[in-house]
Amino acid sequence: MSGGIFFEIAKRNIRIHMLRSSLAMLGIIIGVVAIASMGILGNSMVLAVSESLRTVGDSVIITPHVGGSAHGFGGGGGIGGASSLTITEQDFLQIKRVSAPNIAIPVLQTSDRMKLGVGSDDIVAAIYGLNPDDVPDLLNLKEGGYNRANSGCLVGSKFAEDHNVKVGSRIAIGTDGDKGTLRVTGIIEERGMAFDVSTDSAIVVTRDWFGGAYNRNDYDKVVVKVKNLDEIADVKTAIEKQLNRRDTIVDVMDTRKTMETLFTAFGQITTFVTAIGGISLLVAGVSILNIMMMSVTERIKEIGIMRSIGAQKQEVMWMFLYEALILGVVGSLIGGVLSLVGGYAISSMMLNTTKYLFVPSSMVNIVYGVTFGIIICLICGIYPAWRAANLNPIDALRHE
Amino acid sequence: MVPLPETEQKVTAIMDDQPVMVFRDVVKIYPLPAGDVTALDRVSFQVDRGEFISVMGPSGSGKSTLLNLMGCLDTPTAGDIYISGTRIGDMSDEELTNIRRDRIGFTFQHFNLFPLLNVIENVTFSLMLRAGKDVGTKRAKEVLRSVQLEEHLYTHTPTELSGGQQQRVAIARALINDPDILLCDEPTGNLDSKTGTGIMELMTELNRKGTTIIMVTHDQNIASYSNRTIRISDGRIVA
Ligand SMILES: Nc1ncnc2c1ncn2[C@@H]1O[C@H](COP(=O)(O)OP(=O)(O)OP(=O)(O)O)[C@@H](O)[C@H]1O
Ligand SMILES: [Mg+2]
Repeated sequence: MSGGIFFEIAKRNIRIHMLRSSLAMLGIIIGVVAIASMGILGNSMVLAVSESLRTVGDSVIITPHVGGSAHGFGGGGGIGGASSLTITEQDFLQIKRVSAPNIAIPVLQTSDRMKLGVGSDDIVAAIYGLNPDDVPDLLNLKEGGYNRANSGCLVGSKFAEDHNVKVGSRIAIGTDGDKGTLRVTGIIEERGMAFDVSTDSAIVVTRDWFGGAYNRNDYDKVVVKVKNLDEIADVKTAIEKQLNRRDTIVDVMDTRKTMETLFTAFGQITTFVTAIGGISLLVAGVSILNIMMMSVTERIKEIGIMRSIGAQKQEVMWMFLYEALILGVVGSLIGGVLSLVGGYAISSMMLNTTKYLFVPSSMVNIVYGVTFGIIICLICGIYPAWRAANLNPIDALRHE
Repeated sequence: MVPLPETEQKVTAIMDDQPVMVFRDVVKIYPLPAGDVTALDRVSFQVDRGEFISVMGPSGSGKSTLLNLMGCLDTPTAGDIYISGTRIGDMSDEELTNIRRDRIGFTFQHFNLFPLLNVIENVTFSLMLRAGKDVGTKRAKEVLRSVQLEEHLYTHTPTELSGGQQQRVAIARALINDPDILLCDEPTGNLDSKTGTGIMELMTELNRKGTTIIMVTHDQNIASYSNRTIRISDGRIVA
């Protein structure tokens, strides 16, 4: 084959028109970077969120229905401003019955002032009240032991870090410690944000202590841990049927479904943003088409000579396709490298981490971007190349 | 070298016993909206191996049309053209292209070298078309020596050469595949008379060594280098 000489000519033609070739390539580079880094960002976002939500994909969360049911007022609310809508003990027992054998965990929740040691400033933090029996099902400890006593509590890892709290530290709850002082028995593993309980910056006390301190005999939410993930939807339906027979008194959230919805939304956002990147690549393709047409028009005479001394149509065609391909491959590869840099920059800026960058599901976006860039260039080279190949040699020779 | 496909072997097989070119009642009509133009009207002639022929005639008489047909750039409306015994009447574009590559050498009034290629690459171009990129430079150097181009110019690009040097390179490029016939369109048209004389002496020398040459010219002095002159007027051969 004589491909070599035509490849060589294509290369040289790009080189002598360096400026316009570079500009066309710049378009390709920008398009590839746009596609790839948007894809990377979207994927990193999904990974970051799913990692922080990973622990809660197996729950059904029952909260009092917001929106005007008279049912379910109880307790008068906590001092820390908990919702006045709550779930009663009877409701909880019904939930427990229909979701068996899965574990139903009642949760009390408020926030209050507290003091860590004499003379320190008051802080405000979230307080969860849980049955000591339920805690091991919900939370893992990274230090110390579970608490069973009403005089003890657990703290979240971020809480411990921020306030320099250790196992054995004492926390005085309430304004001036009027709710009493608790001893820290354990520190909870980091859980990230969650639909059930977000304990990282909170403290966890016993339900009895909580009920006494805040005068509560009801719950703020119920978490049902579903062992078999395929049953999540069934459990949700059963609870809704049981409790919302007459009036809607609870909202039931299937965390897996919610996460799926969330990820679908992320996926759509990513697709949308990537599509914008794709449009910029299409625009770049048009500029490739443009310079290829210029290249053909300038070289009509040369094409005529080539044809007259024996170059076949498809050889002329390849000469121009090579040109488009070189621009496409070089531009796209540069774009690929830059999108790594771009992805790194965006990730560290927007997600404060780059650990989701060097994973296959992120890297594949670079492959997509580069491939798409090359394909666009090739497609945009086809028409000019076809035009060149099908020039009438006599007319082309006469062209000045 | 890769063996040529069968169809190519058929059209490229050399038949030395045949005349290099035969035109028999060749008609070329350009259909135009305003009416057909008969550029060539029943032209018949024969070119034997080793001839050096000039084609002369007034402007618009059909010289370029004739050259295009001889060079297999076009096919006749009627009549037959044979190149070394091969009829080119109803060949495909691909077959005609292969004939141009293997059997015909073309030079142009404006030299028309490839600006992106140096002298050696220009000369080996149609050899590369036939045999791939790595054809070496031996054959090119041989041909360049025969057109008397100084060796230090071999790696120069066309823009760095004088008109006469460019035309020598163009002739070398036309001869690289050892064609049956060398077709020259106004070979001295863009050269001063001294340089033109040099080119004509070169062509005479090439013809003496066996190259069959047909050239189109306006210049009676240039035509006098040839052995025979075909004169055309209004699409007909008049002498
Ligand atoms: N592609 C074409 N389409 C239509 N008519 C054409 C075409 N080429 C040539 N002709 C016509 O054919 C006739 C012969 O033209 P041709 O170019 O062969 O003349 P020529 O002898 O080469 O002239 P010149 O010396 O000016 O180059 C002219 O009348 C010309 O107008
Ligand atoms: Mg002419």
